[in-house]
Amino acid sequence: MKQTLTNSIALIAVAGPPGSGKTTWITQFLRDPQRPLFYCCPGMGSGSVDQAQIAYRFPGVHLLPEHQTPQIFADLPAQALVYLELGFHLDLTSPSLASLPCQRVAVLPAGLKESDWHDWADEVIPGNDLTVPAPNNLPELWRSPLTGQVFDAPSLDELLIELTGGAYGQVQRVKGIFELPDGRAFLVDFAEGLPGIAYTELNIPRWLEGRPDRFSGIEVVGWNLERATIAQTLLAGCLSEGAIAHHQEQYKSLISSETDQAETILA
Amino acid sequence: MKLAVISCIHGNYEALNTVLADIDAQQAEQIYCLGDLVGYGPHPNAVVELIRSLDIPTCQGCWDEDIVEGLNACECSYPSQLAEKRGHIAHEWTNNVIHPEVREYLATLPMTLRLDNLCFVHGSPHSQHEYLLPSMDGFTALERVLSANAEVLFCGHTHVPYVRNLEDGNLGIRVQQPGQDESIAQVQIPLKRIINAGSVGEPRHGRPNATYVLYDTDTAQVSLREVPYNYQKTCADIIAKGLPPIFAWRLARGMEFAERADDPSHVCQR
Amino acid sequence: MQSQWAILSGIEGNLAAYEAVLQDIRRQRHPVTELYVVGDVVGLKGDNEAVIRRLRSHSSSSGASPHPGEFVPQVCVGWWEEQCFSLHGFSGVLNAPELMAQFGSDGVKHLWESVSRESVEWLRSRHFGFHELDCLLIHGSTVSYADELTPKTPAIQLCDRLIRADANTLFCGRSGLIFECWVEPSMLRSTVTTLDGVQDLIEQGKTPRRVVGVGSVGRTPGQATYTLYNPANNQVTFNAVSYNSVKGFGTVS
Repeated sequence: MKQTLTNSIALIAVAGPPGSGKTTWITQFLRDPQRPLFYCCPGMGSGSVDQAQIAYRFPGVHLLPEHQTPQIFADLPAQALVYLELGFHLDLTSPSLASLPCQRVAVLPAGLKESDWHDWADEVIPGNDLTVPAPNNLPELWRSPLTGQVFDAPSLDELLIELTGGAYGQVQRVKGIFELPDGRAFLVDFAEGLPGIAYTELNIPRWLEGRPDRFSGIEVVGWNLERATIAQTLLAGCLSEGAIAHHQEQYKSLISSETDQAETILA
Repeated sequence: MKLAVISCIHGNYEALNTVLADIDAQQAEQIYCLGDLVGYGPHPNAVVELIRSLDIPTCQGCWDEDIVEGLNACECSYPSQLAEKRGHIAHEWTNNVIHPEVREYLATLPMTLRLDNLCFVHGSPHSQHEYLLPSMDGFTALERVLSANAEVLFCGHTHVPYVRNLEDGNLGIRVQQPGQDESIAQVQIPLKRIINAGSVGEPRHGRPNATYVLYDTDTAQVSLREVPYNYQKTCADIIAKGLPPIFAWRLARGMEFAERADDPSHVCQR
Repeated sequence: MQSQWAILSGIEGNLAAYEAVLQDIRRQRHPVTELYVVGDVVGLKGDNEAVIRRLRSHSSSSGASPHPGEFVPQVCVGWWEEQCFSLHGFSGVLNAPELMAQFGSDGVKHLWESVSRESVEWLRSRHFGFHELDCLLIHGSTVSYADELTPKTPAIQLCDRLIRADANTLFCGRSGLIFECWVEPSMLRSTVTTLDGVQDLIEQGKTPRRVVGVGSVGRTPGQATYTLYNPANNQVTFNAVSYNSVKGFGTVS
């Protein structure tokens, strides 16, 4: 680390256009048990999909609140390693960011040779090769918490195909965490220019008791987004209380019968 | 004799008109229609009136049945909750605009039509709701043709055209009953065919073009036809008539409006 | 313990026949471990309530079961149960038209009067069938509770039912007959042509599989039939039990 906040704390700021692979780059370091790990995504408020996925996938990583950073940094333990993910909508030259004594990493498409990120970064990491929006035509960000909602899986598939296919405006990036009726939660990731929609099952306990009381939500980055229609379509794919209960009962009895069989074989 | 078989028009007048012109150009002598004249599309009355005015023999599709009987499709015939909600919107809209005489005509449509050794159905001989997908088990598919007592079974409903040849079928059967001699038999089944006519007004093969089939009863030759038409006009009409814009978006991509069930051979008891 | 299934159908309210079969089951050299009743518990000729009470007594969880130590019968619905559901407004079809067509208004009246609402509720909570190991146990077939498979059913139709059942053995009871019908779909060539051209030819031969008619406990007075199945050696045995339909049980195997 070239620069450190104190002798022992390392602060790494990561920036880049949407979909370039910032979060992916960061997550490769989050399994390191040697140092206390911290993550912060300023400007996203509480309950961003990235924050939630870091919390679900790396329970050992501490999430930092986005405000009052100087005080918080002061209170960090020795050896702390802090990753600061800077969204595309943040002005890298703003005084609060510029003044942070940190290692600056930009994750950028290989095709991009010149940009504000290049000027800003100490180190450039080649990321996903996609088209970067022009600075004068920055996309809008729409997001919605979905906590408590459980999706009919085929409906979710359908609406993600439509959403990423441009049925509700030009979409550049979709990130979401969705709950399914079998109690599993999935991280969904789409970036325009990359093939397909990635589904990753989150390694968290199955939620089989009513509406899940844990974060889920969606973030869409794009242009001319038909927000009301997207919200409506999402809701049309959400299961009713009764349907959730019905599915949960089914999975519970399935799981218990599998357990019974396993016991029979052992016996 | 050269036959043209069309199916699943779904209120898409523009597509039907273009397909009829193509059928003329191909010099087919007789047209058969496998139903689903209405539903989803913006011109259900005009489509039915055109089919009637040309005296095209037509079977009843599941959408035609729903307009006659009231919404009857079980939820299991939709692939998703979202598709079901959209299906209900389409049904409601169609139900409101349909003319009484059109509804009466739809009620008169038969489930099955026959011409010599050819049988025409919407879904399968067992149900308007059953999907005979090309991936269906061969013996199951064979049973559908045999149960219709036909050499060639024409169907629609899946919105993707195909021809399936089932040949050299051989089934062994051995029956044991207490107090009786065991009986053994071999059943040989010569070539049977399933011909899916695709969809005129709501294609699902990934392109917006209308599809139908031509069949020559003398040579048994089949040709799958894909006909470009002015789908932008239908899309504009969908929006102008107040149907959900997503229907237009899907139509323009040959994605259908999503109606295929998870379990395609599922037959609803209702 | 090696498992052995007893599979019954068509009690049709005939309690004496059911008791005779139970007694025969208890006398088997290889003990029966599972008891399946694949529908038609009720009918027109017997005491429907008594049979339902008897079936429920096996499974009483109160501890006050009159027959302690008995296996719990697993019951699924059959044609007669569906007629009850229709009469009681529990199915998509009202007023049991099938029952009306076959047994007239007397049949409708009798079935309505001989099964209580509470019993109908209990019957309603039964399964449609059981998938166990590579077997499906069901009253008709997955097509319908009314689907009647017999040794005379065309081979292709039996084959279709087996494929739909996704089972190597389909145990069914609608016909009331006892039979074992092996079907071997040994050969079929399938070629599909789509807009993208001709796809690969697929040969679709399959291993032999069978439809088993499990007989009828109560349909023929004095003569009950049922089926034993040993999953370990895949063998099916049919048993016939004669009983005095008036009093007592004299069983002859």
